[in-house]
Amino acid sequence: MSDGQQKKTFVITRFDPDRDDAPRKQAYEIPVHPDWKVLDALNFIKDEIDATLSHRWSCRMAVCGSCGMMVDGEPRLTCKEALDQYGDTVDVAPLANFPVVRDLVIEADGFMEKLTSVKPWIIRAKELAVEEGPMRQSPGELEEFKQFSMCINCMLCYSACPVVANEPEFIGPAAIALGHRYSLDSRDEGAAERNEVFRGEGTVFSCSFANECSEVCPKHVDPAAAVNQAKLNAAIDWATSLVLSRGGSK
Amino acid sequence: MSRNAHPHAMAPSKPGRTRTAPPQLPDRFPFGGRYLAYTLFDLTGILYLLLGLLVLCAVWSLGSGEASWNAVLERHRNIFYLGFHAIALAGLIFVGIRFFGFFPKAQPPRVGPLKPPPKGAILVGLYALWIGVTVCLSIVLAGGVFQ
Repeated sequence: MSDGQQKKTFVITRFDPDRDDAPRKQAYEIPVHPDWKVLDALNFIKDEIDATLSHRWSCRMAVCGSCGMMVDGEPRLTCKEALDQYGDTVDVAPLANFPVVRDLVIEADGFMEKLTSVKPWIIRAKELAVEEGPMRQSPGELEEFKQFSMCINCMLCYSACPVVANEPEFIGPAAIALGHRYSLDSRDEGAAERNEVFRGEGTVFSCSFANECSEVCPKHVDPAAAVNQAKLNAAIDWATSLVLSRGGSK
Repeated sequence: MSRNAHPHAMAPSKPGRTRTAPPQLPDRFPFGGRYLAYTLFDLTGILYLLLGLLVLCAVWSLGSGEASWNAVLERHRNIFYLGFHAIALAGLIFVGIRFFGFFPKAQPPRVGPLKPPPKGAILVGLYALWIGVTVCLSIVLAGGVFQ
């Protein structure tokens, strides 16, 4: 790093469960490169200045969904955010609405429980025999759910959602989007099971359509659309189940 | 980070082995950035509550004779009530525009064999319906149908 290089100050939220009663802020002034992402700066701080800083990251190409954090108050993938769009001082904090394990690392087990509750896999009443060949799907059938399958489980949508902040039971945007993705899949026969989950304790009807989940999604998945389509499907399924004993879903 | 979210927000059903810091609300919630429009949208519920009470009072006065009804009409010429109705109208338009904007994407990809119409067609239909109902109601309230 040469003199005259641009510098930025990173105000990072720190929390050590063995020492701190509550999270605190710590500032680091570091030299930065014009082509750096926010994650590069965090890695520089950890490698060169303060090895005790804890943060998650892996792929560095906005695919793994590990490096979600609040950057200047917005949920962002730090590997995707160019540093030059921020001012001289950048505030980095752990994702909002999540318990914090340490520094910028959040507790993700609650999210994993919500995710598995919607059964995000293909459910078949009867498995096809191998000799029957693959289950074919037309491009039109694929298009119906493809957008929702792009979710990388980065949890930014949970961090932006005001309902998640106030209703711990709410299943939340990403999990509902993924459950809805499988319910829309022409190969799946589990929509009725998922609709029961959607109408249950963490009901999709808690969503008040703030649309924040879609605003912050780094993969343009539009979870708000999925949640509100799931509301309609769950309602239709419930109404149909009143008159048809087999239920309303496929 | 400023205020705490619900203490159990996104918490696992069984606590982990290490102590965790409580979840925090996003800094900008409820009045900063994009949250402002959402919060205003929710706050319009107060307007509907008050409007509902006014309608109930008006209906109640109908059962108490013509003098009572005329008193209600007279009261509603007060600048306070006119101001309230202007704010309520602005709130209704704001909610309508926001709702219409989100409505197309809440439609399922298909219901049985039927696919929803394009987003533009849905929006045109919604606004046409809104304007049509408003015009019809205005004609009725102005005495154009029932004298």
